[in-house]
Amino acid sequence: MAWSGRFALLVAAGVVPLVLLGGTPGAAWAVFAGWLALSLVAGVVDLVLAGSPRQVSLAREVPARVRLGEPAAGRLLVTNLGARRIRGVVRDGWEPSAGLAGDNRARLVVPAGERRAVPLAFVPTRRGERRARSVTVRSWGPLGLWARQSTMRHEGRLRVLPPFRSRRHLASRVARLRELEGNTPVMVRGAGTEFDSLREYVRGDDVRSIDWRATARRDAAMTGGGQRLMVRTWRPERDRRVVVVVDTGRTAAARVGDEPRLDTSIESSLLLAALASRAGDRVDLVAWDRRVRARVQSVTGPTLLSRMVDALAPVEAELIDTDWSAVPALVRQVTSQRSLVVLCTGIDTPAAARGMLGVLPALTSAHTVLVASVTDPSLGEARRDRGDREAAYLAGSAERALRDADRVAAAIRRLGGDVVQAPPEELPPALADRYLALKAAGRL
Amino acid sequence: MTAPVAGVAPAETPTLRRALVDRRGWIVVAAIVLVVSVGVAVLQGAGTGGGRPLGADNAAPAGGAAVANVLSAQGVQVVPVDSLDAAVTRADGATVLLVDDLGLLGSDRVDELADAARRIVVVAPTFAALEALAPGVRFGGLAAGPTDAPACDVPVAERAGSLGGVGDVLTVDDDALAAGWRGCFPDETGAVRVAFGPADGGPEVVVVAGTEVFANDTVAEAGNAALALGVLGSTERLVWYQPGAADASDAGPTIGELTPPWVSPVLLLLVVTTVAAAVWRGRRFGPLVVERLPVVVRACETTEGRGRLYARSDARGRSLDAMRIGALGRIAALVGLPGHAPAGDIADAAAALLGADPAAVRALLVGDPPADDGEFVRRARELDALEQRIADAVRAPGASADPTDRPRNR
Repeated sequence: MAWSGRFALLVAAGVVPLVLLGGTPGAAWAVFAGWLALSLVAGVVDLVLAGSPRQVSLAREVPARVRLGEPAAGRLLVTNLGARRIRGVVRDGWEPSAGLAGDNRARLVVPAGERRAVPLAFVPTRRGERRARSVTVRSWGPLGLWARQSTMRHEGRLRVLPPFRSRRHLASRVARLRELEGNTPVMVRGAGTEFDSLREYVRGDDVRSIDWRATARRDAAMTGGGQRLMVRTWRPERDRRVVVVVDTGRTAAARVGDEPRLDTSIESSLLLAALASRAGDRVDLVAWDRRVRARVQSVTGPTLLSRMVDALAPVEAELIDTDWSAVPALVRQVTSQRSLVVLCTGIDTPAAARGMLGVLPALTSAHTVLVASVTDPSLGEARRDRGDREAAYLAGSAERALRDADRVAAAIRRLGGDVVQAPPEELPPALADRYLALKAAGRL
Repeated sequence: MTAPVAGVAPAETPTLRRALVDRRGWIVVAAIVLVVSVGVAVLQGAGTGGGRPLGADNAAPAGGAAVANVLSAQGVQVVPVDSLDAAVTRADGATVLLVDDLGLLGSDRVDELADAARRIVVVAPTFAALEALAPGVRFGGLAAGPTDAPACDVPVAERAGSLGGVGDVLTVDDDALAAGWRGCFPDETGAVRVAFGPADGGPEVVVVAGTEVFANDTVAEAGNAALALGVLGSTERLVWYQPGAADASDAGPTIGELTPPWVSPVLLLLVVTTVAAAVWRGRRFGPLVVERLPVVVRACETTEGRGRLYARSDARGRSLDAMRIGALGRIAALVGLPGHAPAGDIADAAAALLGADPAAVRALLVGDPPADDGEFVRRARELDALEQRIADAVRAPGASADPTDRPRNR
């Protein structure tokens, strides 16, 4: 039950009859009591005449997925199953970070037996599963004095996908990938490149890729023609495997710049997956701390990216230490083939990285290992700020933190891995570049 | 994903009946509390029997029920009244006890009352009563010392012997004495606690300065009771007159009479309106939606914490060493030495590059820990400046400055 400002005004309006008729104390009090009784009776009558907010059937039309920061439109359908018309207000109980626009107080008139839609406009502010728990309907009586209010359980969910802001880096990296393709034999003959085809020499080709034997054969076949040189073309290796392990443990919860490390890891792995699937490699992804939080496996082609964002959307960082000892087995489950294993984690101090360093040999012996880590740009600023005593001590501490990270990176390199370190904005393209470099060198 | 029209959505808001049933425990508790508190209030009200000081039916310490009851038991008809009209009607041939504790009666009305009575006893007189009945008798403040002897020839006072307690006193001036007034129970300064008026024709007037002679808690002290019964019990009827609301009109209209009768209801109506408006604004539109928020820790917090720890424990050497090691690593990369080269070699190479004093550069890069904070901050800045100069020196000859390297404006 609820009542309106109109009811408060009605009560206040009792001043007029009180002043006009309250000539004697007895009459004044009688008018007072009478007016209160009148207001109450009006309210109760209004309440009784209001359509029942319980006699409704609810349905939501909400897109299953929306990218973080992008608007989405949905509808809440209210069907009046009662005998009276419902004149009222509806509130859809979404989590705040679903970003429901407006004040979420939709006016609604539903005649008996009919259905009306309430438009919902979302601009989600947080990644993950956004839920709605209930719908509240407040149904006013014909006088608009009192209302019946009821909250109905009606769950809904909206999966907010990672924004994939690093998409804008994809086009340039794909162009670089095309350069690697054997259409033009810019490649030197490398250990990992594969023979693709033979074609005629055109000016500008590398003379080292001229295949004299094929030229001779072709000359034998051709009659009367001029000298036609044949060149071999090479293309980068295909159908390699990339395994991305996203660490969702404690280090992923740390916020660097404007976003948690986990979000940067997700951005990086999405860009890498998009690029690698264009390059013809197979990408598998595991999000792991002490158990598998998300897994995308044996998916190829255009569905890969959507599967990945879908799987990673609800993943949150857990405040537990990652169990690195299980990671080699995890990778082995995905593939036994030699592959590129990308560990998206944070490297802070040798002590914190001990678990990862311990299992690195097991990984590097079978795979190419790349550790992608976010660095904190604020450390670099703090390092150089030596304005006063506090700042100088902080600079010393920042130097120490940077050196710790450097030591971990050095340890990883000693153990046969490779490290990509960059601030949050730059890590995804840096990782993609490193992947391209490895591919160009034929080290996959 | 349009769902077909399903059944009625399950409501979470309980119906009225459901809500009452769910809260029946609390309702029972509230009812018990209400009954108990009303009962306690009723019992206490009956026990204390509040009322005016010196009221004839007031059994409280300040009341006068003891005297009234004893007089009734002795056959005196005690008539408590609270209006002048009633008092005047009953006063004929009776003793009137006037307790005007609210100061409602003017002197002319006291005169009217005295004229009707045979004997009038004024307790704790007002100025108006003294002016009307006892010209020449004035207030004397508190008694200075005990009042053990009547020191007058009034039989009632002599029977009482002495008065207990410490009370107000009156002074009787010479004119009044000449007119026949007699003061009894004087204190050391001659001020009296009781004054008897002249016994010539008109009503007998007795002025008792304080209420302690008649009050329940002090009536039993010394001769208080004897005096009280003596002055009040000499006639068959005693009119116990305490001026009440009916007598107040004489004092001019009150605020309540001046305002229109609808003012109080309007004020109450405004209170009700305020409550209604509060409920209107305060009614929540459905339950809050709980959201599970992720834990997010700022990554630089450990660094800042360690920096503050350094500062608090004055770890100048440790802090500067961290900076030196960092600087050495970067300088080594700039001058083209491996990172694990001895620090002294790096310092010498840096000095050679800059053309600076090798000893000074070496002292800066691998010197002793600083002695105080001032030196620490100074060396920290010098380290940064040195690094900057080496970077500039290395970059300058090639003239191929990194385009992404913005000028540092510090």
